[in-house]
Amino acid sequence: MMKKFENFVYAILDKKSNKTLVILLTLIALAGSVMMLPTKIVKAKMLPGKSDNTFSVYIDTPTGSSKEQTYKVGKCVVEHLKNEPEILNMEIYAGMGIPLDYAGLVKGAGMKNSENVAEIAVNLTDKHEREETSYMMVSRLRPVIKKACEPLVKGTTVKFVEQPAGPPTLASIVVEVTGHNIDKIRELSKEVASILKKTPKLVDVDIMMDDIYKKYELIPDKEKIARSGLSVEQVNNIIYLAFEGMAVAHKNSANEPDQIQIFEILDPNTKRFENRSKQALEEKLNELNLMNMKGMMVPVSEVVHVKEVDSQPSIMQKDLHRMINVTAETDEESQVYPLLEARDMMIKHFKKLGYKVEKEPGMSTYMFDLHLTDPKTGEKYLLRWDGEMKVTLDTFRDLGGAFIGALVLIFLLLVIYYKSYTLSGIVLAGSFLSIIGVIVGHWVADLVTRDTFFLTATSLIGFIALMGISSRNSLLLIDFAKSLMEAHGMPKRRAIAVASATRAKPIMLTAIAIILGSALLASDPIFGGLGVALISGTVAAVFVSLIFVPVLMDNAKAMDLDDDNPIHHDKKNISITK
Amino acid sequence: MSYQPKDIAGKLAAGFLKNPLTAVLGVTLLLLGFISLQVMPREEDPQIAISGGAVIAPMPGATPKEIENVIVNPLERRIREIKGVDHVYGIAMHNVGIVNVVYKIGERREDANLKLYDKVMQNMDQLPKGVMQPLVKPFDIDIDIPILTFAFYPIKGQKADYEKLFPIARRLQQRINAVKNVAKTTLKGAHKPQFNVEVDLHKLTAYNLSLGQIMKAIQSIAVNVPDVKGRTKDKKLMIFGVKNAIDDVDDVKNIIVAQYMGSPIYLRDVAKVQRGIDFQNFKTAYVGFKKEKGDNLSPIKEQITLTVSKLAGTNAVFVANDVLKVMDEYKDKLRKAGFGYIVTRDYGKRANDAVNELVHHLVITIIIIAVMLVFALGFKESVIVTFTVPAILAITLFIAYLSGQTINRITLFAFLLSLGLLVDAAIIVIENIHRHMHSHESAHKPMDELLIEATDEIGAPTNIATLAIIMTMVPMLFVGGMMGSFMKPIPLNVPVALIASLIVAYIFTPYLSLKLLKRDKHHEGGEK
Repeated sequence: MMKKFENFVYAILDKKSNKTLVILLTLIALAGSVMMLPTKIVKAKMLPGKSDNTFSVYIDTPTGSSKEQTYKVGKCVVEHLKNEPEILNMEIYAGMGIPLDYAGLVKGAGMKNSENVAEIAVNLTDKHEREETSYMMVSRLRPVIKKACEPLVKGTTVKFVEQPAGPPTLASIVVEVTGHNIDKIRELSKEVASILKKTPKLVDVDIMMDDIYKKYELIPDKEKIARSGLSVEQVNNIIYLAFEGMAVAHKNSANEPDQIQIFEILDPNTKRFENRSKQALEEKLNELNLMNMKGMMVPVSEVVHVKEVDSQPSIMQKDLHRMINVTAETDEESQVYPLLEARDMMIKHFKKLGYKVEKEPGMSTYMFDLHLTDPKTGEKYLLRWDGEMKVTLDTFRDLGGAFIGALVLIFLLLVIYYKSYTLSGIVLAGSFLSIIGVIVGHWVADLVTRDTFFLTATSLIGFIALMGISSRNSLLLIDFAKSLMEAHGMPKRRAIAVASATRAKPIMLTAIAIILGSALLASDPIFGGLGVALISGTVAAVFVSLIFVPVLMDNAKAMDLDDDNPIHHDKKNISITK
Repeated sequence: MSYQPKDIAGKLAAGFLKNPLTAVLGVTLLLLGFISLQVMPREEDPQIAISGGAVIAPMPGATPKEIENVIVNPLERRIREIKGVDHVYGIAMHNVGIVNVVYKIGERREDANLKLYDKVMQNMDQLPKGVMQPLVKPFDIDIDIPILTFAFYPIKGQKADYEKLFPIARRLQQRINAVKNVAKTTLKGAHKPQFNVEVDLHKLTAYNLSLGQIMKAIQSIAVNVPDVKGRTKDKKLMIFGVKNAIDDVDDVKNIIVAQYMGSPIYLRDVAKVQRGIDFQNFKTAYVGFKKEKGDNLSPIKEQITLTVSKLAGTNAVFVANDVLKVMDEYKDKLRKAGFGYIVTRDYGKRANDAVNELVHHLVITIIIIAVMLVFALGFKESVIVTFTVPAILAITLFIAYLSGQTINRITLFAFLLSLGLLVDAAIIVIENIHRHMHSHESAHKPMDELLIEATDEIGAPTNIATLAIIMTMVPMLFVGGMMGSFMKPIPLNVPVALIASLIVAYIFTPYLSLKLLKRDKHHEGGEK
């Protein structure tokens, strides 16, 4: 067996055409596997979805909606989820966020404090006892519930929030619409949102801005107030006291855990308005009296005018620029591909609207940003991609940097050891080729699993770790071949063949150890990428170090024995193998 | 002994081969690892040091644009002066301006909080008129993210009797907060009891009264004054005080708000006065649950949620267990009062499950590798290599414990990742020993010398190879951002595990070989 392999390697080395063939095949395999990335055969994502025992539903009715309206939507969601067998319990938190979790941390769940918000925590059975993952469940339920519950109150958004597999982000896709003209950026963000809504695989599109609604402003008539012996403050206080109520006094008690407030408000039956009109408000104000300094009663309606106005929305800023966030989630898809699609649509759309659209120059993690210029006013706007995309780009950039760092460090280590750039280069080239296995492995994993198997950040970590493992294979191979040439005076070609044949067993042995060690990793949702990268990368590394590296070694002058290239160990050191 | 070891490998082997303490060392290592596994804080995800905070400045009556101009913009400009700030988010709303500050990842939380507070306080003199005292609230993930939540619900009916439920929940909260390492507890959806005075608008008009008068009337009665001291003639103290005139809701009802035609008008005449809950609080929580999987969901009931978070760096599993025990004691009491509770979040259990599952995976993987080695190397050799794995993991765990890390998914993945690499050093050593034992050249060498020589021989290349793998891990330490801190346990622990694997392989493989492996007297020339 070993002899056969030795002869096989020798036969390759002995013929130039065979050697060229090996190199050619390797290059084709490399090019082919790398091409799987741009052609989306293997898709990249920062981290895959994580099946969890819980997910949450965020409900936003339009600004100015009442708690009853919001609760109606929340109840509708619960009613529709009620018959899901895997749901154990659900908690509706009306007017506030659910108890803070990782996802809510960056989504501002802790800050929620108004009648138009509600959050629902949905707890599922243990993930091990359930077939359907939480993200598949969300993907299935989302369209049903949105369709049933969003129309209950016009303008409502219902969002499904899953626990993040890694660090939490505001949303998978965040477009920051930045500019100084606040009305204009509101308009632009609506355009952006409508494009995101049209993009396939994007769901839960939301514009993070207050809705403008009709409200009534009471304008105090200062002269009348002064002449009636009243004050503006008094008017304000009474109106607040009448409709919102006020805790006018406190009482401490030994038997109560908290202070008891004495809360004064108008009787709900008497303060209720007939309808939502200016007239109804004026009528009610007419009934409400103020007492002036002389003890005379003055109706509130006498001293204020009622005016219908638009509400003023909140203003958001990021790093001193006004901006509005438009967010979207991906439905079991990497955010990269819908993002690029939406971006192309935006470029076309805004050009059609007459804007001058420029792309962000240069390479940075903001490279997908778009600069818009309004030709009429010359005002500039920026559409910046943030959220998971930014984190992904940052992470891949850093891991890419770490990868290059690892390459350089290994190279330097080898140069110190071998005192030869060529040999070190061979080892490095050999270890880089494990990328073929990594990508092909992901492709196979994608074929055999039900949902998309993404190339993730953990796959990259696996790849970096593989570099070390496969460089060790090459290293021991070169070491052994050199010792054979020196100690036994074997000719170079034969020595290389013998070395790869004898090293085959320990290389296989350690490879099997790694494969078995990573087998359980591969089934994990998050570290699956790492496991698959290690398994398939190791397989590729075995082939590379036993066939491709010998070819390079044979071609390398540095392997020849001469005075410039003395072997550095003593002759007895034919080590490691049997 | 004739052989002089040249490499650190041989020196370690020689030093420990005949040492009686080697066995003690082995047992100690395993024990330390086991203790570390038990006492190290467990959590599901590693901690990410996100520092930041919010500055909240209220200005009643101001519109968003006004708030933006007078509060948000100047505040943001000041905050930009702080070093290490990544992003500043300003929100100008009605009546209030909020500036959220997010520091770069890795900024020390204490420093970050202090710098923010300092900057706001330094500029207090520039606060515009009409702005109330700004509030600086730092983020604190540990304390802010509860590890346990409970929902208290009424057993009968859907409406919660907050009048009864709130005091119970509050008392339980106090009791839970006393549990060791519990940090913050909150009640969500709680409605407090209060005396509601609902004034009838029509009656006001009829009696010719205003709301303000009623307010003043209540305020004049509901006062608390401290006790006063008086002195007697013989220089003794006499202490007396005025009792709060309001004791229960009847006292509120009987407040005289005005005189009408000579007869008093009581509050009860113009308003509905009752003890009730704070209905102005629009935050209400509801729950629907199943008793068993497969049951129908109960009707949606009102509930109060008690949230419990733990102190940073403490074991979520222990804290959760302690709290659950306390809750169990109160179960019957609650039931008697007509309330039940369900656990709606238990991160302690989740962390424990995640850790146990991975430990389970580790054990399975070790067994699989051991079985493979039996076929490749032989039974005794496999036993020796398999022993090294727990020893290496024990050292790594112990060092991780000393350096203040926690056991989480990522730490254990670092172990799983390194598992395939860990056995290599031991495999290489045992293989070389095996080769020497069966070769003619060393047939007449004493066993101990042979072991040292075999170990020493492969020292240099193995060291270099292991170093190469460590080199690949080092740059990963410098990956920035949240992902970097999330992944940090991998570059922190894998190199430690690899170095430990070398040391263990050099010390224990020859030692165990001496104890376990028997030399073949009539060997057939060893390997083919």
